[in-house]
Amino acid sequence: MSTLYKVMARTGFRGFKQGEEFEADLTPDEERRAKQRGSIRVVRRDPDKHKEEEKDG
Amino acid sequence: MAKRIALKDSVEVDGQDLSNDCRSVDFTSEHAREDVSGFNATGASEYLAGITTQSVTCEFFGDYSAAGTHQVLYPIHRDREIVTFAWRHDQTTAVSATNPELRGNVQVLTYSPGATRGETEAFSVEFTAADETGLQFYDTAAA
Repeated sequence: MSTLYKVMARTGFRGFKQGEEFEADLTPDEERRAKQRGSIRVVRRDPDKHKEEEKDG
Repeated sequence: MAKRIALKDSVEVDGQDLSNDCRSVDFTSEHAREDVSGFNATGASEYLAGITTQSVTCEFFGDYSAAGTHQVLYPIHRDREIVTFAWRHDQTTAVSATNPELRGNVQVLTYSPGATRGETEAFSVEFTAADETGLQFYDTAAA
């Protein structure tokens, strides 16, 4: 199951327009950079990915 | 053969569409020329293709808004990150054999914005291929 993201940037993200939601398996680095610059926000976290993050951190 | 005027190009860095902040793209792929010439009757030289060096140089407008040029490019350079790059001729149509997309993982080794009084701020950024796959043209969209 992939993580659900919402596009926040006016210029879109990965071909999706501002306001659209998309499911993807972004790497932790991709997600961090995109969130930091305000391109996306997480709508629904992939439960498996979240478990991995908890284990790592 | 259809010639074109560059107007609708798509430039995407780290998933972020920077097309509207970009006004030129120059891709370079070069194999080093290694001289392997020996003595021979004609005196002609013989070469082999050596190491490959690839890069894309784009000219961007200075844009400091959210998800603009600076917010996308500077952290990539500062943190020595490797990110995706994609360029195709027509952003209004999908990737295909007649609208191929140059894609690859790149780094921004030099970041040098600048400004001149009274002039539009624009600066060049060189994206250097960062892994063994290099930068290649594809006929189909990325997975």
